[in-house]
Amino acid sequence: MKLRPFYAVLERELVRMIRQRTRLVAAMVRPLIWLLVIGGGFNTVVGRAHGLDYKDFLVPGVLGMTTLFGAMLAALTTVYDKESGVMRMMIVAPLPHAWIVLAKIVSAALAAIVHALMLIVLLLLLGYFRSGTDWTLLASAVVAASFACAGIGMVTASFSRTLDNFAATMNFVIFPVFFLSGSLYPVRSLPVVLKRAAIINPYTYGVDFLKHAILPASVPTDFSVALDIAVLTGFSIMALVVASWRFSHESAYEPMIRVLAGKPG
Amino acid sequence: MNAPQIVTAPAAIHAEGLTKRYGEVLAVDGLTLEIPTGQFFGLLGPNGSGKTTTIHMLATLIQPNAGSAQVAGFDIGHNAVKAREAIGIVFQESALDRTLTVAENLRFAGLLQNLPLRTISERSRELLELFGLDQYRATPVAALSGGMRRALDIVRGVLHQPKVLFLDEPTIGLDISNRRRIWRFIERLRAHTSMTVLLTTHYLEEADSCDRVSFIRKGRLVESGAPRALVEDLGKHILEVESANIERLAEQLEPRLGAGLCDGDVAMFRWAEEDVTKLVKLQSELGMGIHSWKVRRPNLNDVFLWVAAGKGLRS
Repeated sequence: MKLRPFYAVLERELVRMIRQRTRLVAAMVRPLIWLLVIGGGFNTVVGRAHGLDYKDFLVPGVLGMTTLFGAMLAALTTVYDKESGVMRMMIVAPLPHAWIVLAKIVSAALAAIVHALMLIVLLLLLGYFRSGTDWTLLASAVVAASFACAGIGMVTASFSRTLDNFAATMNFVIFPVFFLSGSLYPVRSLPVVLKRAAIINPYTYGVDFLKHAILPASVPTDFSVALDIAVLTGFSIMALVVASWRFSHESAYEPMIRVLAGKPG
Repeated sequence: MNAPQIVTAPAAIHAEGLTKRYGEVLAVDGLTLEIPTGQFFGLLGPNGSGKTTTIHMLATLIQPNAGSAQVAGFDIGHNAVKAREAIGIVFQESALDRTLTVAENLRFAGLLQNLPLRTISERSRELLELFGLDQYRATPVAALSGGMRRALDIVRGVLHQPKVLFLDEPTIGLDISNRRRIWRFIERLRAHTSMTVLLTTHYLEEADSCDRVSFIRKGRLVESGAPRALVEDLGKHILEVESANIERLAEQLEPRLGAGLCDGDVAMFRWAEEDVTKLVKLQSELGMGIHSWKVRRPNLNDVFLWVAAGKGLRS
């Protein structure tokens, strides 16, 4: 096993994360706005349930959001890599191409984990996580959710050719994945159609896992921890297989091929 | 020292019947190629003739529809990872991360090649010095000029000391002084190592220094040989005439000189003899309506034009 190439991809991800401060700041501001503004707003309307404020109910949801956006945006830089030529550097390296996809998934998950840790620190300072948090379970939930989100991101990236699709990806992938999960409301109380959508959504299980770890045991969750782990692990593996398959079948020279096909001779 | 060599070194590149089809387009059509170890080989041809597709197949980046090839002894299909270990490639388009610095790019590329960090920093220093880039180590790639970026791309391609180096149009899009600089680097590099180099270019004067060149047209190899031999095959002289009514003039000349190449107001003909008195006579005979009448030595550009026109080299 060649570990240096793996390390190279991870290191590049971290270097880029530290350089792109605005991305980092946005990654912290986005969940805090949801928690403090939306959560604060609905708090007065929704009221307390199971001995919990809506704002407290929202904590696992916004933590999940950080991992979702962190992993998705990191994985989507693969599309930038394809356009900018960095992908060329990677595909000429003496490695099986699945190894590159795995390294990209791990680095996207790593980005999400770092974002989640930073948000946890911020939330601690703001006085959340007062009681009932199972820290071991939380660590596992953050890791499992991050990998699943990185998987969603890599599969999306493997199907998009250009960065122009970025806005479309935000609208048609990230937002539905976020809204059709248990992030903002319990899945069990959703209307049938939405409930079905939430059940197929792998990210739902990540949020559920986070709820198990963060919310007091008195608050009912939608699935068991075992099911959450099984779905998240299974999905991550499946995403790796699909993305690897896509990357080995769609060459990095797609644009050139189109030029050739358009101008024969 | 003069004992006959019985053991033949394995070819650096061996390809047989390599074929690539993109939908309806046959990009490479049954290409067979043998490049001995250490050779400086030029693959020449017009745009869209299949040069880049050939390189990408040999570099294991796209799969051929038919045929097979070995690079440095490794099959590009079954043993692609091993083959890639022996290959360095400089693409037409840059393969660098513009957001990282020069040194960071080489560190990234070197680690991808599984090189230890110490080796990476030693070789980077050496190569950046050789290519005149040592003062730009901490500069982001986005801030480099086109010529420097291309030089860095070559450094990136040879950092792991490949046995076979593919250079796909290494000087494309560069001005003349930067093209010369890049060539000086490539020459220095070849002097330092015994790499086999496969080059594509359409600046034909750059291919003069190749040991051997092949012309590719519509995905097929049409002519191969040492540059000088190919030029000699074309003829001793090239007659270049210019006239407002070039078609009529060409009609008058072709029975005596053989088929020519017409382009706009200019027509070119080959002359196989050293003695050009007959051509001088011909000029005074036709006289009227000729704007210019030039007899000169052929070069690789002429070979290219003749090959691109689909005409054989030998009269």
